[in-house]
Amino acid sequence: MTNFKIAEPQTIDQVTSLTIDKKDKYKLMAGGTDLLAEIKDEIIEPEVVVDLKSIPDLSYIKKEKNGVRIGALTSLARLAEDTLIKNEYPALHEAANSVASPQLRNMGTAGGNLCQRPRCWYYRDPQVKCRKKGGGRCFAFRGKNKYHAILGGGLCYIVHPSDLAPALIALDAEISINSPKGNTTIPLTNFYTLPKINVRKENILAPNEVLREIKIPLIKKEEKSTYSKFIERGTWDFAIVSAAVKGTVSGGIFRDITIVLGGVAPVPWRLTKAENIIKGKKITEDLVRKATREALKEAKPLEENGYKKELAEIVLYRAVLSLL
Amino acid sequence: MEKTKKKKRKTFTRRDFLKGFGGGALSAAVVPQLLAHDIDSLRTKKGNIPLFSKKQISLTVNEKKFSLVVEPAETLLHVLREKLNLTGTKTMCARGECGGCTVLLDGNPVYSCLYLAVRADGKKITTIEGLATKEKLHPVQQAFIEKDGYQCGFCTPGFIISSVALLNKNNNPTLEETKNALSGNLCRCGNYSRIHEAVAAASKNMRRA
Amino acid sequence: MRKKEYFADSEEASLLYREEFRDMKTEEPEVAPSPEKDKFEIIGKSTSRIDGEKIVTGRAPYTHDIKLRGMLYGKILRSPHACAEVISMDISQVQSLPGVKAAIQLKKGRVTYAGEQVAAVAAVDEKTAEQALKLIKVEYKSLPFAVTEEKAMEEGAPQVRKRPNVQKFNEYTRGNIDKGFKEADFVLENTYKTAVEIHHPAETHGSVAKWEGERLTVWDSTQAIFGVRDGLARALKIPASRIKVIKHYMGGGFGSKLGINDYTVAAAMLAKQANKPVKIILSRRENSLCVGNRPSSLQTIKGGVKKDGTLTALYLKNYTSGGIGRGDYCSEPVVDLYKCPNVQVEEHSVFTNTGASRPTRAPGHVQGTFALEGFLEELANKINLDPLELRKKNYSTKNQGDKETPYSSKGLNKCYQLGAEKIGWKRRNKRPGEGNGKVRRGLGVASQIWWGVGRAGTQADVKLHPDGSVEAICGTQDIGCGTRTYMATITAETLGLRPKDVTVKIGNTEYPWCGGSGGSTTTPSVAPAIRDAALKAADYLKKMAAEKLKAKPDEINITKGKFSNKNDPVQSIGYKKLIEELRKERKFRREKVFHGEYVGRPSGFAYNTFGAHFAEVEVDVETGKVKVLKVVGVHEIGRLINKITAESQIIGGITQGVSTALFEERIMDNTTGNVANPNFRDYKIATSLDIPEITPLIVDTVDPRINNLGAKGLGEPPRIPPAGAIANAVYNAIGVHVREIPMTPDKVLQALKRKEVD
Repeated sequence: MTNFKIAEPQTIDQVTSLTIDKKDKYKLMAGGTDLLAEIKDEIIEPEVVVDLKSIPDLSYIKKEKNGVRIGALTSLARLAEDTLIKNEYPALHEAANSVASPQLRNMGTAGGNLCQRPRCWYYRDPQVKCRKKGGGRCFAFRGKNKYHAILGGGLCYIVHPSDLAPALIALDAEISINSPKGNTTIPLTNFYTLPKINVRKENILAPNEVLREIKIPLIKKEEKSTYSKFIERGTWDFAIVSAAVKGTVSGGIFRDITIVLGGVAPVPWRLTKAENIIKGKKITEDLVRKATREALKEAKPLEENGYKKELAEIVLYRAVLSLL
Repeated sequence: MEKTKKKKRKTFTRRDFLKGFGGGALSAAVVPQLLAHDIDSLRTKKGNIPLFSKKQISLTVNEKKFSLVVEPAETLLHVLREKLNLTGTKTMCARGECGGCTVLLDGNPVYSCLYLAVRADGKKITTIEGLATKEKLHPVQQAFIEKDGYQCGFCTPGFIISSVALLNKNNNPTLEETKNALSGNLCRCGNYSRIHEAVAAASKNMRRA
Repeated sequence: MRKKEYFADSEEASLLYREEFRDMKTEEPEVAPSPEKDKFEIIGKSTSRIDGEKIVTGRAPYTHDIKLRGMLYGKILRSPHACAEVISMDISQVQSLPGVKAAIQLKKGRVTYAGEQVAAVAAVDEKTAEQALKLIKVEYKSLPFAVTEEKAMEEGAPQVRKRPNVQKFNEYTRGNIDKGFKEADFVLENTYKTAVEIHHPAETHGSVAKWEGERLTVWDSTQAIFGVRDGLARALKIPASRIKVIKHYMGGGFGSKLGINDYTVAAAMLAKQANKPVKIILSRRENSLCVGNRPSSLQTIKGGVKKDGTLTALYLKNYTSGGIGRGDYCSEPVVDLYKCPNVQVEEHSVFTNTGASRPTRAPGHVQGTFALEGFLEELANKINLDPLELRKKNYSTKNQGDKETPYSSKGLNKCYQLGAEKIGWKRRNKRPGEGNGKVRRGLGVASQIWWGVGRAGTQADVKLHPDGSVEAICGTQDIGCGTRTYMATITAETLGLRPKDVTVKIGNTEYPWCGGSGGSTTTPSVAPAIRDAALKAADYLKKMAAEKLKAKPDEINITKGKFSNKNDPVQSIGYKKLIEELRKERKFRREKVFHGEYVGRPSGFAYNTFGAHFAEVEVDVETGKVKVLKVVGVHEIGRLINKITAESQIIGGITQGVSTALFEERIMDNTTGNVANPNFRDYKIATSLDIPEITPLIVDTVDPRINNLGAKGLGEPPRIPPAGAIANAVYNAIGVHVREIPMTPDKVLQALKRKEVD
């Protein structure tokens, strides 16, 4: 692994006070599982790794009157084992539990999971300089694209690899970001950006900004949620398609519903059109499938990933029906 | 006859090393001095951030304390294998994709290939070498032998560590729980079912004991 | 340095493999072995591995763990181009980096795949060596390439080697294929496809080289210590007598570590230059690029069958790609597995700009059996016959591909019977896909033929020490199959001791010669050699015991640590006591070595191993996801030596087979010329949660003449049928055959669409 120095800040403010004068000079490290793999593969070569774990008190799960607050450095394992999360936010519980392997869940953090980089094999190939790495083309577009995006592509066809992101967006989560300009809280859904905004990045975070906390609103009466992940192997795989669904449901009818797909686009993909079709109607398999089909009409599969569209329909209708 | 041969041999084998290990020769031999320029700081408006190009850390590995100087890019795996000569922990992929380097960090299984040594400062680490006492194997180790829970044996240390982590938390796991707990370890020879049997046998023995 | 000088290129390697590991002929033994009458107490039962404690405590030394005083770390610079001309190379800059101790250029002229080695360095640590690689300046002229079979087969495709990209390498005919088709009531033709797989042993490839004057010692993660020694001698042009190769423990090979490797030679050259030991360990990525793979195949089978199930004709055309290597003989199952009078095959290499293939656990048979067994399944359905009955109907007692030679032993019928019972064969869908619902179940079967004979000339020693201790010594290597343990078991059985009383020494070229561990040859080579040596030791001890017990040597029985008079069992003496007395009487003061050898087997018989696997699967017809629920693997391998380790072999073969059937595929990118998935994230192998309930079964037989134990090999056989059995079970579940592995959800969904069309 290429050498770097390690910085051990004591406060978040110290991190946000860092001057960013050179690209990739500083990289923030949470769990480090993705960052170190990237450094090992020479995808990035930071001079300084800023260890966020040296900052105290960033790992917590707290229930308050407005909702649940989760520290960015809370481990995925803790998130997966927490009874409050398990009972009230099954989508988040299932998402956390579906990440990689037990060892990686012990190491990885909630914030890191939201900020991780794509696993596109061209991006991860040190010999390939694709658009995301400052090159001139997306190799997946006419290349091997079985696992790539069917929606929201264009300049770059990565899929966002996070499991927590679709679940948290479905749960209307917000995130707090500490920034040199001040601290802000924004809906998680606004955090992610498509390649056409900035092909080098997947979110709005600047190198000296810190995702500090995740907030989920208290659950409403009759609110249910689920996260369903379709993978090729029995475990330890990134989603081919995943679906996070949250809604208030009674008598087989969703009064409101939020649907977010993972694994299909460069960002977690909200299916507003499908939500509108489903809302207020008696749920049947056919209705959900029709709604998904309608919502995925804009999908533009590449040569090898058309099956993802079919899978999205199945994964989604099963997830929705499981909430009845 | 065997003994004299060994003494004559110039190579530095693990066994020779371990002899030194007991005598405490190790720490003196491998701890270089930390120099002033190894520690710097990043100046910010909110105070200075300590910045290390080398760092002195202390680890407790298998209940022995070690103090050593590491570079930030050194992984825990590297330190265990190359500096402490605990080669039972294996490098299989070096990317957190196989489980060969699994160790217990404060009781939890982690991939030491993706864990920076500087972060292990002050932590307790258990490797495969730390499970057995002089007299007795750990019940999980014993069960792996009895159930033939290995073939080439290369992934075995990682599997045993993951199994121990599971049984420490849950002394009577179902087959499904065992499979889940071991799902972060790959066995290329494909002996998973035997490994699962070994965990069941160890669990039974541990509950009985 | 030119490759040809020391590496067998892939063609040669493949031919070598066939000679060295499979259809090995031997000279006629002077006395034909007759092992059937022997009764054993330890052999055939389960003995825990004698080296288990070392493995579970992490003390077993693997090549990765070797650390020598002053040792340097070597790294290899590899071509990033799939095809390029090396115009110039400057390695002089590396010397400016402190800690770099040696650098060598390894390539001039053309590189033909991404990952081919071009230069190497050695430095005081890995990090410095990695940095040094960046200082090597190589100017390439990149050239057009073809890394996929489709591209290589196109008209006008870039030529990979100095010959056409598609080239026939094998043909075989018996009978008259057209006549066979005419005689058939039904004729069917289908095409089957298998992907390139990577061996990916747990321990990546690596070597440590150390010179002492003109003598070279190499620690190598290898399946063939003598192969490495002889390869090094050729490469370095030094006598084999000056080279010692050691392999204590190795983390798997599956065929990828069967001979000399270019990085081992590089380590030796670097070590020479630096005058210090050099260790080179390859990365997981390197393992994906340049140390072998299982060739792909595209097999079209056309077959004819009568209404009653009698096969009348089998025709196979195969296109197989082993990169710059030749590809696999996939036709052997078609030629040998079932009785069929009219058979014709032709096999073609498809050269691509990818690393050369190497034998991969059951080369050719994994691919060939998937195709043939899938084809038979569809054929059975065509004539409405139970697929198991179709196989029994065409049972062959002779090896038709080997001049109609009768099998020395064949227990496949027993395998069918046992396996069918165990899986509950009657539960299968009578008509494929007849079930309803979104998740459907099905059962499938596939059979297997393989070699698994011994290599004549394999030698072993049993050494008795005057202090009562015993050694069993052979220059073989334990690659995870339990070789050490059965050497102890056989020696102990023969001398009336316990396995733990025997010290086993293997993995060193200073020990008696033994061939590489591949082709399922190790047990049928080493076991008879060690048995031979132990029997000679037993003869000596019997003679000595006979004097003590006032009996004739042939009246002495050895059992449970005691020598006793057959006619008067009360007259007995313990092993230790006997040795002690002999020592005191000054009759046994120096160690005694008894040399054993496996000399061969009678001609006129075909020696093969057989097995049948039965699989039960569940298929989600909406998502295309296949879950394997159960596999019963039944094998006929002659005499069983150690039950527990043999069962592990079967379990491992099935697990790898599940992985082949559902997940494994090396993906090449036509734009970059690189492997897209050179890691365990995207090259997926089966995990704990993917494996079925596995039942390993071994049919109780003894081959009457293959060797003094009647034992055949088991390494390859259980790796062969699982993919076919699973694919057939999928067919039985969903009514459409997925004719391509791995059967990933996208492919299953695609196949299901075909059904809608049909």
